[in-house]
Amino acid sequence: MNNKIPNFVKTNQFGLLILVIVFICIFSFSTDGFTSRFNIYALSRVVALDIMIGLAMMVVILTGGLNLSLGALGVSAAMFGGWCMESMGIPISITIILVLAFGSFLGWINGFVTVRTGVHSFIVTLATMSIYFGFMTLLTEAEAFRKLPEAFTDFGSLKLFNKYISPLLIISVMTCFVLYYIFKYTDIGRKLIAAGANPDAAELSGISVDRMFIYCHMLSGFLAALAGIMLTARIGAAIPSMAGHLGFDWLLPAFLAPVLGGTLLSGGKVTVFGTMLGAILVTLINNGLYLIDVGEFWVRFFLGIILLGAVLLDRAREYFTVKNSIVS
Amino acid sequence: MSDYILELNNITKNFPGVKALDNANFRLKKKSIHALLGENGAGKSTLIKIITGVYNQNEGKLFLNNQEKSFSSPNEAMNAGISVVHQERNLIRRFSVGENLMLTNLPKNNLGLIDYNTVAKESKKWLDIMELDIDPNTIVSDLTVAKMQLCEIAKALSLESKILLLDEPTSSLSPQDTKNLFALLKRLVAEQDVSIVFVSHKLEEVFEICDEVTVLRDGKNACESEQITNLNRQKLVKLMIGRDEQIIKSKKNIDFTDESLLDLQSINTDLGHKNINLNLKKGEILGLYGLVGAGRTELIKCVLGLDKINSGQILLNNKEIKIKSPKDALEKYKIGYISEDRKKEGLILMHDVLSNAGITVWSNLKKILSFLNDSIVYNKVDPYVKQLEVKTPSYQQIVSNLSGGNQQKISVAKWLASGTDILFIDEPTVGIDIKTKSYLHELIIELSLKGTSIILITSDMPEMISLADRIITMKDFKVVGETINNHNYEEMSSSIMGNIHE
Repeated sequence: MNNKIPNFVKTNQFGLLILVIVFICIFSFSTDGFTSRFNIYALSRVVALDIMIGLAMMVVILTGGLNLSLGALGVSAAMFGGWCMESMGIPISITIILVLAFGSFLGWINGFVTVRTGVHSFIVTLATMSIYFGFMTLLTEAEAFRKLPEAFTDFGSLKLFNKYISPLLIISVMTCFVLYYIFKYTDIGRKLIAAGANPDAAELSGISVDRMFIYCHMLSGFLAALAGIMLTARIGAAIPSMAGHLGFDWLLPAFLAPVLGGTLLSGGKVTVFGTMLGAILVTLINNGLYLIDVGEFWVRFFLGIILLGAVLLDRAREYFTVKNSIVS
Repeated sequence: MSDYILELNNITKNFPGVKALDNANFRLKKKSIHALLGENGAGKSTLIKIITGVYNQNEGKLFLNNQEKSFSSPNEAMNAGISVVHQERNLIRRFSVGENLMLTNLPKNNLGLIDYNTVAKESKKWLDIMELDIDPNTIVSDLTVAKMQLCEIAKALSLESKILLLDEPTSSLSPQDTKNLFALLKRLVAEQDVSIVFVSHKLEEVFEICDEVTVLRDGKNACESEQITNLNRQKLVKLMIGRDEQIIKSKKNIDFTDESLLDLQSINTDLGHKNINLNLKKGEILGLYGLVGAGRTELIKCVLGLDKINSGQILLNNKEIKIKSPKDALEKYKIGYISEDRKKEGLILMHDVLSNAGITVWSNLKKILSFLNDSIVYNKVDPYVKQLEVKTPSYQQIVSNLSGGNQQKISVAKWLASGTDILFIDEPTVGIDIKTKSYLHELIIELSLKGTSIILITSDMPEMISLADRIITMKDFKVVGETINNHNYEEMSSSIMGNIHE
């Protein structure tokens, strides 16, 4: 009898989708300006970034680990990009490649140290967070790069689709598709998931678990650097404090999106589109609450409550993982 | 008044979609050792869980000392004098033996602090009853596996238990330890008024120690409180599986003077292996026998590159090789390893059948840009999963939902699919029902007949003697004997045990 219900309906993502729609309805009716072109455009710029940092965290959670250095890493990469463009005059396209390579390198450091020492990535990235951010502040003397090429900053304020959507969102959505493809349709993606789910069994089945974990951290660094570039384009400058002190401002959305989306904290299960929906939900609630004008404190309060709820959900999910497929 | 201490009448237990127990009866006489037998899924564990208060039955009654009881938690059952000694140890490894024994009722001094002298004295009492020579201050993790097992029993006794349920108590014990355990159990029954329920897959043990037998099949009684003297092995197996047991023997002519396929020469390892020499011929099943802790699994793991080999050589077809990792072993040298611990090392329980069965072949199957989809993997592994008759509703089924036997078949299937020339098979039938067991035995023989060379590790002597062509005996990380198997159980087992106890 259950067979008549399509499988999609039973998944976590479906529940999230319903929630997103419910919140859109609530905020549309209860606030002025939620559906305005200006607000939707602003939302699309914020959501784009939240999705990207959610994905960056997701690929490390896949290993059963965490990447606390995410924000520090992203900002460091962005500052490096600002320096390339402003001080060195390197063309935009080459700068982007350099920044992504730099981010992957910082991610590699995280992964390498984690794998070699056997210390939990929570501790390793707590340390590298401080190291990356401290080094960056030292080198830049906490000065921003504000004279970036116009072509670069113009991209960040470009408006598409009848001026409703930022191109940044398109980058994030495309990244989702690429990641989904990697995890679902490649040999390497399957190995990453297997290594995350049960390192011992994966190792004995002929998978180099250490290498897979390092790949996950590199991918995380890559995505965080991409997020850094996007943020730089959005605000038109590379500023050391643009993700808060030590990059803390990124941490809450980085956790919320994948955990709400259905990624298991113990590793071995990723949900790319769940993470996307999770990021959308978080941004919506954030934005809606500001529009309702409940005040800064309540917004943080609610986000904290949502994170706790999401973690409880994660516990429950470990029992029910059973029914969902591994990549979704 | 009946002389039963425990009686379960017409017990029925339903789970969604399954009738785990269907009108089952179980009667335990005072001061007896009663075997509870059945294949995996026959309802043994459900029955035990009802006795110990983990589950409640849907129908039927439970009497303890002729009084009707119903336990709503394991704690209540424990307080009523029923204790289980599980396969998995329930001791806290970093606590001392005394602390573990007294854990639920630690004596305190006037200041409300733990009185360690009394802890030692009280726990010594129970250790003495069991004639166990263990200092109560020893930390549990320093004990041997066998001693831990005995401490668990001491712990159960210290709770004044009158009924002991032993679930596969000998699975990790050596024959000598098993003998000691049995002597102890017999004494407990005679001197301490204890009644014992004994669950085991090893039928030899049942005949050695039990008075009565109850067999479950598909949730029903296949026999009920049958005297052991009325039964023999064939009858018992027939009761359990519903048909006669097929005895399998490997019949092969291997010329042991042939060149070796794999040759370990004077291997010394980081883990303590000393001067290991052994060689494997093509198509041979080479048995590695030894007690738990003899270093067999560890040796294999060193060969696979997981631990360091300090000196010595590994030759494959007379060429020296260096295996850096299991990945290396699989991809470069076509060597695979079926782990003894399928839940931790053999399978990814939270993943589905397809990804578990296909994990070893992904690398070979990938197309350009590492592309790989489910149907490519399916086409590759389906023949093997079918050949092994894995019972699963679909390839998308999560492996942890399958029975132990089917899980084991999948952890074998993935290595069949990988097409290795050499397979290390470690304890392939632990905790597996007789039907699947004989199936796996046939398969291992068939594989070797087709040319796969196998190193088989097993602590199950009958299994070793029916499968292996040649048996190497290990003890304390050394090779202590080598015997060509003539498949005569008495001769072989005494020669092997002779090697160990020399």
